Amino acid sequence: MSILQYNGGAIIAMTGKDCVAIASDTRLGLQQQTVACDFQKGFKMNDKLYMGVTGLATDVMTLSQLLKFRMNLYKLREDREMKPAVFSALLTSILYEKRFGPYFTEPVVAGLDENNQPFLSAMDLIGAPVSTSDFVVAGTCTPNLYGMCETMYRPDMSPDELFETISQCLLASCDRDALSGWGAVVTVITPEGVTTRKLKGRMD
Amino acid sequence: MAFNMGQRAPAQFSFEAQPMQAQGPPMFSSEGVTNLSTEPKSDQIDHGVTENPYERRFSPYDFNGGTTLAVAGKDFVVVAGDTRMSTGYEILSRKVPKLHKMTSKCVLAAAGCKTDVDTLKSMLSIRMKMYEHDMGKEMSTTAVAQMLSNTLYYRRFFPYYSFNVLAGLDSEGKGAVFSYDAIGSYERVPFSASGSGQSYIIPLMDNIVTYKTRLDEKVELSIEETVSIVKDAFVTAGERDIYTGDGVLINIITATGITSELFPLKKD
Repeated sequence: MSILQYNGGAIIAMTGKDCVAIASDTRLGLQQQTVACDFQKGFKMNDKLYMGVTGLATDVMTLSQLLKFRMNLYKLREDREMKPAVFSALLTSILYEKRFGPYFTEPVVAGLDENNQPFLSAMDLIGAPVSTSDFVVAGTCTPNLYGMCETMYRPDMSPDELFETISQCLLASCDRDALSGWGAVVTVITPEGVTTRKLKGRMD
Repeated sequence: MAFNMGQRAPAQFSFEAQPMQAQGPPMFSSEGVTNLSTEPKSDQIDHGVTENPYERRFSPYDFNGGTTLAVAGKDFVVVAGDTRMSTGYEILSRKVPKLHKMTSKCVLAAAGCKTDVDTLKSMLSIRMKMYEHDMGKEMSTTAVAQMLSNTLYYRRFFPYYSFNVLAGLDSEGKGAVFSYDAIGSYERVPFSASGSGQSYIIPLMDNIVTYKTRLDEKVELSIEETVSIVKDAFVTAGERDIYTGDGVLINIITATGITSELFPLKKD
């Protein structure tokens, strides 16, 4: 079994009209044994920027703490918030530093830039970024997630429609993956504020 | 010491099997000669290539790609398969359908290794013709389903590399879809997708056809709605799966017969 599939997980980030949403499951497993159903994979970096990290759980925690540290340092030095594109570039750089002994994670960045335009990017474990305008996915059930998102996504959805769409995509995909699921959390980021909701799904 | 002739005492056996390496370097000077069995190996990383011999084998299987999908309705079935045939990263043809008509009410959709699919189809056709001559009527869909399962299991230890989906109308006129694995285990299901693009399509069908994870009331789909969903599913699979594309052949099986439609997909 691949190292990236040891703990399991699934993350989607999607754009809407002046909003982004990021959804993740909350399972932590040791291969087939489920150990926790409240494991956080989506992390708030600032009011308009969220990062979702899947992969090896220890690296998920380490990477999120490391990025939080670097963001805080940037804020102290520059006395301003970090833009999502800059954050994404920082993350790329941190991952590539460990090119020959990488963090076994596949992170996803979702946020609103200074003009409240949605920003999305995803990376592989050594920091190769891809920035899209519709959706990005990561985790152990990426074919399922791609299939759902590709069909269900429409551009310029309102925050409520976006929430409904991203939730259905995540739940339907996780239900067909043994290593993902066991609870889900969805965060919708708008210029007015952030709403986080827990989803009721199958707990198997 | 009354040992049986054929047996050795365990202690004696393991003593004899001790390696000779403990004796140190060879006695005579042999600078240019390396005696492999006594040379220490700690300075080399062996990747399993020199120490453990391995064979390069001819693989009898090839994967010709493709995705198939079948959805059962109240009194109809929609069955579809893309028309691309590929090997490795090359496309061999853009116009090879994966749907094979079995009876006037039953179609087999199969992706995988094309030669195995064709042979399987001809095995089934021969048996079906014999049935029609003996019984004086066509085989029912459930009978074809069972026969396909048996045919696949005959080759339990050298399977047909064929991902099958059988679609047709059962004896009551309702839509029936049967989903198979490579060695004949089968089940009647509301829908089935198989092949290289199955992972992209199955969660979508779960959501739209069987209404899983949805709280709103389930509605029976009409033929047009089902065909539209099938086309959407193939567009999605064609986008993300390299083996799926070029076109989709869609067959709609109703009591009046089988209609066919070729829907184009992206050629990349």
